Amino acid sequence: MIHFISKRLKHSLVLLFLASVVCFTLVVSAPGNVAVLIAELRGAVATPGYVEQVAEEIGLNKPLLMRYVDWLGDAVRGDFGISYRTGQDVSADLANRMFVTGILIAGSAAIATLISLALGFLGAFWPYKLPDRVSRGLALLGASTPTFFVGALMIYAFSVTFQLLPSFGFAGPKSWILPWLTVAVLPAAVLSRVVRVGLEEAMASPFVLTAKSKGLGRTAILFREALPNITPLFINALGTQVGLMTATAIIVEPLFAWQGLGDYFLAGVRFRDFMVVQACLLIFLTFFIVVNLIVDLAVLLTDPRIRRQWS
Amino acid sequence: MSVNRRTFLQGAGGAVALALAQGALSKIAYAQGASGTLRVAIAKPAGNLDPQSHYAIWAIQDLMFEPLVKYGKGGQIEPCLATDWKIEDGGKTLHLTLRQGVMFQDGTKFDAAACKWNLERWMGLDQFSWMNCSKHFQSLDVVDDYHITLHFKDPVLALMQELSYTRPTRFLSPKSVGADGKFKEPVGTGPWVQVSADDSQSVFEHFDGYWGDKPTYERLEAKVIPDARSRVAALRSGEIDLIGGFWIAPLTPEEGKQLEAAGVNVVVDPGNVTLVMAFNPDRAEALKDPQVRKAVSIGIDRAAISKVLYHGYAKPAGNMFSGALPYAGTQYDPPVRDAAAASALLEKAGWTGSPIRSKNGKPLTLELVVSPDAVPGSRVIAEVIQSEMKEIGIDLVIRSVDHASKHTDMLEQKYDLGFFLTYGAPYDPFGSIVGLCLSTFHNDVEGKLVTDPVNLDPLINAATAATGDQIQPTIQKVYDWLRDNDAIAPLVYVPSIWAHSKRIQGFTSPVTEYDMPYENIVLAE
Repeated sequence: MIHFISKRLKHSLVLLFLASVVCFTLVVSAPGNVAVLIAELRGAVATPGYVEQVAEEIGLNKPLLMRYVDWLGDAVRGDFGISYRTGQDVSADLANRMFVTGILIAGSAAIATLISLALGFLGAFWPYKLPDRVSRGLALLGASTPTFFVGALMIYAFSVTFQLLPSFGFAGPKSWILPWLTVAVLPAAVLSRVVRVGLEEAMASPFVLTAKSKGLGRTAILFREALPNITPLFINALGTQVGLMTATAIIVEPLFAWQGLGDYFLAGVRFRDFMVVQACLLIFLTFFIVVNLIVDLAVLLTDPRIRRQWS
Repeated sequence: MSVNRRTFLQGAGGAVALALAQGALSKIAYAQGASGTLRVAIAKPAGNLDPQSHYAIWAIQDLMFEPLVKYGKGGQIEPCLATDWKIEDGGKTLHLTLRQGVMFQDGTKFDAAACKWNLERWMGLDQFSWMNCSKHFQSLDVVDDYHITLHFKDPVLALMQELSYTRPTRFLSPKSVGADGKFKEPVGTGPWVQVSADDSQSVFEHFDGYWGDKPTYERLEAKVIPDARSRVAALRSGEIDLIGGFWIAPLTPEEGKQLEAAGVNVVVDPGNVTLVMAFNPDRAEALKDPQVRKAVSIGIDRAAISKVLYHGYAKPAGNMFSGALPYAGTQYDPPVRDAAAASALLEKAGWTGSPIRSKNGKPLTLELVVSPDAVPGSRVIAEVIQSEMKEIGIDLVIRSVDHASKHTDMLEQKYDLGFFLTYGAPYDPFGSIVGLCLSTFHNDVEGKLVTDPVNLDPLINAATAATGDQIQPTIQKVYDWLRDNDAIAPLVYVPSIWAHSKRIQGFTSPVTEYDMPYENIVLAE
């Protein structure tokens, strides 16, 4: 087990290094000159040579390798530099915004888990009957509807039409509901099929026959025997979905005016504020790698077959 | 270490239930409306509000910091912190009488000493040499507590207009700057005091000691909503009261129409910014011929663009500046699309054949560079123009780029045709004329709309050197040259669109796109 954890940590570190190279290369190779944008932002008309001065000020004139080494060294120490757009400390901004994105992802993951379990069980209780078809239909709808459209529909229905929930802001649980639901729709749809198929396979296993022979009812078998059996499968799928939620946050946060990492990243991209873009990309990739590590460890803890394999 | 799968499930289920219960039991903090509070949407956080610094929403600064003089309707200069002014010595000396009884929000008195301290923060510094009053600044004399005299090396074009700008000319309390000279907090003489500010909103309350008329409501909240659709939804749901403005929380004409259809009050101001098409003869050989430029210009249906793409909110443009601006020159009717005349001009210029014309075996292909980030809606406008150009035998290729690439491409002249927006009040007409058309002025940000060192530069230099009654006829010569040579193709006067809730009464759109329209509003509760 320690061998497994050590190997996974090494893999994660290599991945993080590669991710840093990719982040840096992608951002600096984008066309356009950020110094011009900054000069524009600083005054209606730039003075002669001011763009050159800005380029010097933000280190654009240094060789690429030197810029990468400087950036990585600082990033490892937790210093992501100063935003070219706002002049504020990127690390401080990241710390504030991580909490917002954390709330979004955690709440959405919880809701997606609950909805997916409910839909999955609905189908598994009445396989190939109306509830199963409804559950499948909802999953198909949820998986094929773009997130921004889901968000717009939510706002239109609950804020504009019924005026029940706020359409924007981060002021307590009531304002969290719509963003949570918006982000949860897609993972709930995907996970519900994982639950449904997993339960079906589990119900066809020999241990279910044993349980039946002991006189256990269908509900008891589903909850006590089949559900624990699909746990590793569900954790794996949930981990992937939680990782992907960082991408969804980029769409959902600006939509609901949440000042999270997604909104920060998008503003950085629009302005080519590459200190912000690089930092956000690195955080997203780190999050993805850490989530995968946690998922692997959780699966290891809950699946004796994998434990045996690594012991 | 091992965990039983049932134990894991029970633990996870318990944690989720606990989290949800906590959320449900928490105090619900959201309030639908707030009496006496004007809630305005802003597209991005207000940012650093140092009047002599850089990044921020200028309209937010307008709430706290006041200028010496205000830019009024039609370019009229109105008193603000200066009650009187006199320009002497051929435009090289400015005598100012300061308003008495004005206090900064921290209790500091506004007088000649405070005025001198503020002016010396930016006047004469290289960083602000894009303003003539800073570029030509020579010295400053304090006559007494409320009189000050400024001396300039050369006459300053549009001096009072420059002193009405939002940046860097507005006044802050000397105490709002630290010992190191760096800005600490926003303290001005304006009617609003900042109570709090973060990335989600900026909150302001009345300044009780304000010298002028105080707003009738007590609080102003500028809420950050980056997404345009969300701003529209927030207005419709009653969570905010006001959206709009070019730089504050832009509304597209489509959104304006949707809001009108939903019964929301929409206010459209003709605006004072013009969307202009630039020709680049240095790259496209065909555009060296004025007949080709004219053919392109009259091949565009400005009325259709205004009616369909701007839903009737925009006016077709026949001039570089609309009549809403001072010194905008003789106002001509916008060109009416005439495909037959455009085709005839192209024939005359030697471009023949169909469906795409050619000359000496070279097809008439032009590249139009657009950036919807820089000019909202420009992609669609470009597509309409592409289709119209095809009808007269021009193959128009659209290259859509992001904001950063657009800046680089326009600076490096990597375009045949491109869109420009004029700066608008209070910078125009001289701001755009000098910034976008004078070849010797190094505009390192946007590139040039049109330059001609031999013919155009002398006209612009004469216009900027003119004073008094000479200004109008000399700047008219610049407009005439642009028109006679079909050097540019003005397309539409871009409208300023605002929408507000029924709580707001007496709304009027601001004079410039850099002001916050808070002054005439009365809130109905």
